[in-house]
Formats: sequence, C-alpha cells, structure tokens
Amino acid sequence: MEQQIERYRKPTRILHWVNAGAFIALFLTGLVLFIPPLASIAASNGSRLIHRVAALVFVVMPLIYMATNWKSSWKGIKDAFIWGPDDLGWVRAAPRYYFLSDEKSMPPQGHMNTGQKMWWFMVIVFGIIFVITGFIMWALKTSAPSPLLQWSVFIHDVSFITTGAMLFVHVYLSVLHPLMAGAWGSMARGKVSVEYVKSHHAKWYEEEIAKTEKAVTK
Amino acid sequence: MADKAILYDATKCTACRGCQTACKQWNENDEGAGEKTVNTGSYENPPDLSPQTWIKMQFREVEQGGKIKWLFNRRACMHCTDAACVKVCPNGTLYRNELGTISYNKDTCTGCGYCQDFCPFDVPRLTANRLTGIAKMDKCSFCTTPGLNRIAVGYEPACVKTCPTKALTFGDRDKLITDAKKRVETLLAKGFTNANLYGEKELRGLHVLYVLEESPAAYGLPLAPQVPPLAIAWQDVIQPLGWAVGALTLVGLGLNYVVAREAKIAQELPPPENKEK
Repeated sequence: MEQQIERYRKPTRILHWVNAGAFIALFLTGLVLFIPPLASIAASNGSRLIHRVAALVFVVMPLIYMATNWKSSWKGIKDAFIWGPDDLGWVRAAPRYYFLSDEKSMPPQGHMNTGQKMWWFMVIVFGIIFVITGFIMWALKTSAPSPLLQWSVFIHDVSFITTGAMLFVHVYLSVLHPLMAGAWGSMARGKVSVEYVKSHHAKWYEEEIAKTEKAVTK
Repeated sequence: MADKAILYDATKCTACRGCQTACKQWNENDEGAGEKTVNTGSYENPPDLSPQTWIKMQFREVEQGGKIKWLFNRRACMHCTDAACVKVCPNGTLYRNELGTISYNKDTCTGCGYCQDFCPFDVPRLTANRLTGIAKMDKCSFCTTPGLNRIAVGYEPACVKTCPTKALTFGDRDKLITDAKKRVETLLAKGFTNANLYGEKELRGLHVLYVLEESPAAYGLPLAPQVPPLAIAWQDVIQPLGWAVGALTLVGLGLNYVVAREAKIAQELPPPENKEK
C-alpha cells in the first residue's frame, strides 16, 4: 500500500462529522420553509424541535473541541483568516482549472487549498451569524424590537442560501469530484496518500511532510 | 364578491368591551383557565393582544385645552389589502379569502412567527413553547375560522353583533366607506375639526375602517403603515434567489464534473502525441 499521511486527527474528524450531521439536519428542516408544499412538515412541529436540538449540537460541539484542542483550534482559526499571495493566485487560476482543466497557473497549496480555506472561513463566519440571528429568533421572539427580528430572519435566510449552495460544492468536491479521490479518505479515515498530497497540497508537502520525512530517514 | 369590511366609529364607542367578550365566546377563546387579568391602573384588560385575545379596546387619555379627553381604539387585525403577513408566510397558511380579509389555516401554521415580526400593526400572536419552538399563530380571523364561520352563513362578525352603540358595523367595504365619509362630514360640521377616516387608502385599503375624531397618531395608529421592505425581500427576492443560487451551483458542479472527468481520463491514458514521439 502507498504511504499514507495523517491529514485530520480523530477529534477533528469527530467534530467534522457531528457538525456536518447537525448542519444537514438544520439545512433540511430549514429548507421546508422554501418549499411551500413541504412546509406542513414544520407544522407537525417535529422538524422545529429537530432544528433546535441540531442547533444546540452545532454550537456545543465546537466549544467542546476548542476547550479540549485549543492548539489546533487556534491554528485552524489562523488558517481561515490569514491569506497570502498563493491564495490570490489560486483565485485567479481557479476558473481555468475547474472549467478548462488548465492547471498551469495554479500555485502550490498548503494544508488547505484556497477553496477549502474559503469554505472553512465561511463555516466560521456564517456559523457565528447563524448562531447570533438564530438565538435572537429563538429566545427574543417576544421581547426584541420588530426590525431586529426582521433583520434576523433576512440574514439567517441569506446565510442559509449561501452556505447551503456551498454545502453542495463541498460535498461534490470531496466525494464526487473525479480528481479529488483522496479527499474522502482524509476525513473518513484521517489519512491520505503521499501522491495525493504532492499533487493537491504541494506547499504543505514541502513545508511539513518532506521535513519530517527527512528527519525520520536521518 | 365585493370586499367586506368592519367600520369602527370611535366617536360612538363607549369601550364597554362587549366585543372582546363576544369574540372570545364565539371563537372559543374563553376555554380553560382563560387569561388572568391584572390591574395595571387602567380599564384596559388584558394588557395586550394574545393568542386568546384577538380584539382589545385601548384607552388613551389625551389632554386638550386643559381638559382630559378619553380616546378609545379598537386593536385587532386590520385585514390589509397589502398584507405583510401573507407576504412572509412561508407556506400560505395566511391567505386572502374571497371577502378580501385575511384568514389562516391553523393546521398548516409552522409557528415560524414571521407574520408577527413583519406585521405593521403588531397583531399576530404566538402560542409558543420557547424551549422546543413549537408554536401556533392566532389573530382575528374575521369570524371565518372553519366550523365557526359566521360570514359564510350570513351573520356579521361576533364583535359587530354584540356592539350596543352600533360603533361597529359590517358590510360591503365600498358602502361602509360612503357611510364613514358621511359620518366624518357630520362630525366636521359639529365642530370636531380633526375628524377623519382611517383605512381607506392605507396599505391599499384596510378591511377595518376607522372614523376618528383626532389624528390617527393620537390613537396610536401609524400614519403611514408600510409593508416592511424586508418582507417584500423574503418572498419576492430571497425565495427565488435561493432557488436560482441552488440551481446555478448544481449547473456549475455538473459542468466541472464533465471537465474533471475528461482530465482524469487524459491523465490515465498517455496523450496520443506522446506516443508518436
């Protein structure tokens, strides 16, 4: 078997899958409000309870993770917010890469490529927006002034559309994309092949993996 | 069918609150323990509209030339033509009926409460469990609740039926507007110089019309009620935008799949020009 490299540690994977499950539950129970014939599902009230339970999981899991894995949390947050020239290069090269299969101008990528970084950035930012606006609508329904509630509805929905569309992109790229076959393994088992890392995350390979490999071989 | 309406003549109202009671009795909102009333230093009771209180008389004291004047106002659903609640209701639970008024189907109500957030008159109320979010909306149904539909059998709404001073009347909206205008003229002639009709043009026409002797503002009525812009955004922008973004995303992903699969095949097979070399 090819040499495997650890990409995501177990706590990270657990956080990913629990929050992914919670997000999908939230997505589906929210989606019914966009499909009038299905909204009766919400009328039977089960979906509203699911939405709230999932919301709690969605908030509590990252908090537990941060409390117990502060070092990697901090690194993760930094990863999302610090952008370099290679990220700009990725954004420039991405349309040609994804729609014309032209990889020439694609700069080498770190542990997360810029696309993954964007998604991760959105997860953090929209996650916080969801939680704040959701909290207002849940707990302050009768006490908050109407404009605040109206804006909460609006922002919650715009975030829903944005992240919902991006969820499809994320699932597609990590499960269905023909050239990203290793991505599933990285979150399912935590490991990816060296070949995959070299082709998709060359900068990470150069900076981190190659160094430690050398250290091991010494 | 011509639009129906209720005309409330504040100058004839004694605030006996018979309408509140009749409304509760007819619509079966007097069941169970009912609402506990608390003395807040006013004849107003209960303090606010609620899932059991669909109509409520407001008492306002206004000082005018050193004299205290008591203004009464009928608080209930206005049955707007431009109804924000109907616009934001995600699944058509709130709808305009053939009378032109706003009915709702409680069975399909998801309890989202958007109607409450967006109503320019702050009328809909939710019975909500704050923990689980399980909720149902209630408001004046214009006595059209299925099984309790007075209008369908030719009756007037319960509040109108019970009103002892005929401050409340029911009928075709056009006719009530004519009546109301006549009444305003009479009041003006009698020296009530601020007398006015409220609800004819507001939100393209309310189905509760008001004859008032002072400015609507003195009764706590908004001078220019509006459907909040964000309410228009919800149905006319956000919902279609959501579908458009979703569809575009899927088209983009499909396109990429085709491109990427080609690329993968090309990677696996050595390109023909290399073979020739």
